[in-house]
Order: sequence, then structure tokens, then C-alpha cells
Amino acid sequence: MKLLIVEDEQGLRESIEEYFAEAGNVCETASTYAEALSKVSMYRYDCILLDITLPGGNGINLLKNIKQQEYNDGILIISAKNSLDDRLEGLDLGADDYLVKPFHLSELRARVSAIIRRKSFNGSNILLFHEIAIDLMAKSIKVKDQAVKLTRKEYALLLYFVANKGKVVSKNAIAEHLWGDGIDMANNFDFIYSHIKNLRKKLLEAGSNDYIHAAYGMGYKFTDQ
Amino acid sequence: MKLLSKYNRVTLLSTIVIMLFTGIIYYVAIKLILIEDIDKDLAVEENEIFEYVKVNHALPQVFESEYQQIIFQEAKPGSVKREFVDTLYRNIPYSHHGRHHRHEEFESGRGLISVVTAGNKTYRVLIVKSTVETEDLLKIIFGITAGVILLLLLVLLISNRLLLNRLWQPFHNLLKELRSFKLSDAGAIALSETNIDEFKELNQAVVAMASRVKSDYTDLKTFTENASHELLTPIAVINSKLDTLLQTENFSQQQSKLLNDLYSAVSRLTRLNQSLILLVKIENRLVEGHQPVNLKAEIEDFAMQFEEIFNDKQIALKTDLSDKHLETNLYLVEILLNNLFSNAIRHNFQGGIVNIILRENELVIENSGDADALQPEKVFKRFNKSTNSEGSGLGLTISKQICENLGFDLSYFFNSGLHTFRVSF
Repeated sequence: MKLLIVEDEQGLRESIEEYFAEAGNVCETASTYAEALSKVSMYRYDCILLDITLPGGNGINLLKNIKQQEYNDGILIISAKNSLDDRLEGLDLGADDYLVKPFHLSELRARVSAIIRRKSFNGSNILLFHEIAIDLMAKSIKVKDQAVKLTRKEYALLLYFVANKGKVVSKNAIAEHLWGDGIDMANNFDFIYSHIKNLRKKLLEAGSNDYIHAAYGMGYKFTDQ
Repeated sequence: MKLLSKYNRVTLLSTIVIMLFTGIIYYVAIKLILIEDIDKDLAVEENEIFEYVKVNHALPQVFESEYQQIIFQEAKPGSVKREFVDTLYRNIPYSHHGRHHRHEEFESGRGLISVVTAGNKTYRVLIVKSTVETEDLLKIIFGITAGVILLLLLVLLISNRLLLNRLWQPFHNLLKELRSFKLSDAGAIALSETNIDEFKELNQAVVAMASRVKSDYTDLKTFTENASHELLTPIAVINSKLDTLLQTENFSQQQSKLLNDLYSAVSRLTRLNQSLILLVKIENRLVEGHQPVNLKAEIEDFAMQFEEIFNDKQIALKTDLSDKHLETNLYLVEILLNNLFSNAIRHNFQGGIVNIILRENELVIENSGDADALQPEKVFKRFNKSTNSEGSGLGLTISKQICENLGFDLSYFFNSGLHTFRVSF
């Protein structure tokens, strides 16, 4: 996939670029409004990660510009402003999603994947990972054509893993993805373990390979290697 | 004590004292003057007797006239001293007298004792005049004085009340404004017009103070807001760097532990920061809009959302929910429920209980907990939290503020071992 990362904060921009950099992905970056505008007017992207506050202009204007040109790029707003109005304004103007800083890179990746899946929807709504087939419409999965019954959270967890395949995903990120901000009362994330264990067991029982690996007690890695 | 009563007390007391004092002086002075007058008459009478005796060498015939009696008594020479005395006057009724006395009576009188020598005999002379008229006069004067005093007091009392109430009106208006003064309100203090310099000055001082306080408060809030926003970016960088660091392989157990601690610290920092931003936003009433909210459904959603966490802590959740529909801000209601749920779990112990009761007029969330009863007046204060709490210390402050914004009332009490939060609609 081809991404444009519009973010003025160098540290964050580099982290995002690095996290998305892998075979098959093209990541371009822009750190100012002008740079972003020139790139957007020249190239098309699968998804644009757009910061609202930019040197030299407002990301919202960039968004308006893209929509005026009727470009079909997916747009994910990443903003420090966690305001409902900003969120609504962004989504009203045609942004596909809105993510508030600070965020986990795995969360960003899951959101971007979801946007690209929606954009590239071409009759097929099946996401494949080796023998695992995820039906995004029906929210059900099959392993080797055999239906596996997952709970809502297990399904969300699997989708999250697939979007972040090959990456170590921290327990914090998983917890926040599944339980939202309400997670803040849990000072350990042991309860995540039972969900992972159940998901893994169901997949293995259905004949899937073991893709879920614990990573140093900090998180999990979903990988086929 | 009210200013008016204090003022009245002082003025009335001093008026009474001064009036009484002048009354007494007045009385004494008039009495002295009148008695001097009588004494002069008595002396004239004495002189007449002397003249008579000088010419006739005999005592005059003693006769009784109105208000005057003369009595001669033989006395040893030198035993009698000339003097004026207060004595009694024997009043014998006269037929032509205005006041008809049925019998002889004594009245107060003024007498002059003197000595006269007629022939070779010495006589003690007592001339007595009635002072009834004088006393009457004095009584009338005293009565009028007392009446004037009373009238004056009454007038003072009434005029003080009316005048002071009117004079203090600007003050009371100002007081009312100050009572309803709220830092978060945008409006300036409305002042009533006054032409009294002191109140004008007071008004100006209050207005100046209010605007200064408000601008300080706004500065402070802006600072909090800006600081929180500025913090977001570095936190976001730390967060993303941690996620990136996690991708590098081969951590030792010690490194994993360190990374884990970093993660939880950053996530606490994030939540604290977001809470601060949220609080400022709610306090500024920047979250607007309302929609129909099915509270029962919302609570059930949250109960499901938190299911794993309840299970993890083995907390028994009991709900008793009636239907409750509100026309309010869903976003704020969600934050409120989230905070109350989080609290009930966070401050609970392993195997504790949480009861949620929803009624037409209230939502009650009770939870068991290690802590004893909290102080209701402190529980909603910023950063007031138990020492081992992982929370931001802002959750309940935010909840309270949300309830205030939405027109609910949030209260805390400790009831038979359960910490209870009640939202009254």
C-alpha cells in the first residue's frame, strides 16, 4: 500500500514511517502544509495520515482540498485535539477515521488497514491470512473452509493481529483496542490472556497453524514465521 | 447584628441619654427659677411684715389668703435663724376657689422662717406659700419634654429604617450579584446605579476585582489547556518510540520488565493529560448538543464492556435497572458512566460487589472497597485520591462537573460498608 504521512513532529513521523515500512508498502512523508499540498496534488495514495496542526496551514483545509478534487484517497486524521466537534467536522468533511494523539502504532495500523480494506472493496469482503479467511461483512471466520465461532472480542482481536502481522503488539495496545479508555482501572492486563488463549485454542482446534506468540511478557506477535 | 440595629442602638441610646440629661437640667433649672421667684415673694411678704411692725409696733393680724399662710410664734431671741425651707402647705378649701377641696389637705410649699420683734417680744415668723402651681407647671413642662423625646425616637427609628434601607439598596444589590458570581460565567457583574460615592467606589472595586479574577482564571485555564495540548505531542512520540522499540528483538527479562513499566507510566500520563483536557473542556462548557439517551441500554453496554474486568477481579455485579430515557449529551453521559464504573472496580477488592440501581429519578452505583468512608466534601476535589490509586485523580471531579453541566446532582455517601455514588436527575 502507498501511504502519505503528514506530520510535523519528526519523532512521530519517523516512528510511523518505520512501523509501516515493509515489503510492498510505500511510505512518503510531509512535514509542512505546503509539502503535503504539493504531494497530494501530484500523487494518489491509498491512505493519507493527516495531522491537523501543521506549520503553514491547517490539515482540515488539506482535507477539503482533497475532497474538492474528488480524489479517492483514504484519509485518517491524527490530531492532538480530542474534541468531539473536531472529530465530527473531520468526518463530515469526508475523513475516513479520526485518531487522537497519543496512540499506539498498532492501533494506527489497524485503522489504516480498515480504511484501505474499505477503499479497495471489490466484491470480495474476505480477508485472507494463509488458511484463515475472515468475512468482514458477516464478521465470521473460517479456517480451511470450516467455520470457527468466535466471540465479538476474539474476532476483534484476530482482526487486530492480522492488521499488525509480524509486529509485536503490546498488551496496553490490545487492552485499549478492545476495551477502549475504560481500561484504565486495570493495573495488570492478565484478563487479556484468557482471550488470547481462547482465540489461539479455537484456531488450533480448527486446524490452523499456531500464529500467536507471546513476546517477552510485554505483548504478542502474530506471525507466520 | 445588622448594621441598622447597631446604628439604631447607638443613635437611640445616645438620643435617650442626651434627652434625659437635658430634661433633668431643664427641670432643675426651671425649678430653681420658680423657687427663686417664690422666695422673692416670700421676702416681699417678710418685708411687709417688718414695715408693719416698725410702724405699729405690733404684729399684723394674721390672715390666711390664697396660697399663703403666715404664722407667728413666740420664740427666745437668738434661737431662730432666718432661712428658706421646703415645707408643707395646709390647704383649706375656699368656696370661690376653682378647685373644690372638700377637706383640708397638705400640699407642698415653700416657707420663709424669719424673726421679728414686736414690742419687746420676739416672734418666729413662718410664711408659707403653696408651690402646687409651680409643680403643675413643672409637670407640664416635663410631660411635653418626654413627649418630644418619644416622638423624636419614633421618628428617628422609622426614618432610620426607611432611609438606611434605601441607602443600602446598592449594597444589597451588589451583595446579590456577588453571591451569584461564578468564575466560569462569562457575564460581567451587573451594577445598580448609585450616586453615593462610597458605593460607587465599592462597585468599581468589585468590578475591577471580578474582571481581574476572571482574567487570571481564564489565563490559568488557557495555560492548563495549552500545557496539556503541548504535552500530547511528546507523549505521542514516547508512545510511538516504545512501540517501535518493542519491534526490535531479543529482550532480556529485565528489559521486558522495564519496558512494561514504561508502558504503564506513559499510559497513565496519557490518561492524566486527557482527563485534564477533558475537564477544562467540560468546565468551559464546550461540549454541547443533546440527543435521546436510553440510560438503561447504556449501562447494560458498559456492564458488558467491563465484563472481563469484573470477572478478572471476581467482582459480583448486581443490576436493578428500570427504563430511563433522557434528552441529554450522550458523550458526557458515556464519560460519566465510564468514570463511575471504573471507580467502582478500581477501588474494589478481589471478590467484592458492585450494585447498580437505576430508577426514574436516580442512578445509584455502590461498591465494596478497602477504604473506610471517604469525606464527602473532599471526594470530588481534584487530585484527591487514595495513595495506592492508579487513577488520574480527576475522574470524580470530571463526573461532578459533567453532572453540573447536565443539571444532575452527584453525591457520595457511605452506606453499610458500601461506597455509594448517586446521580439524581
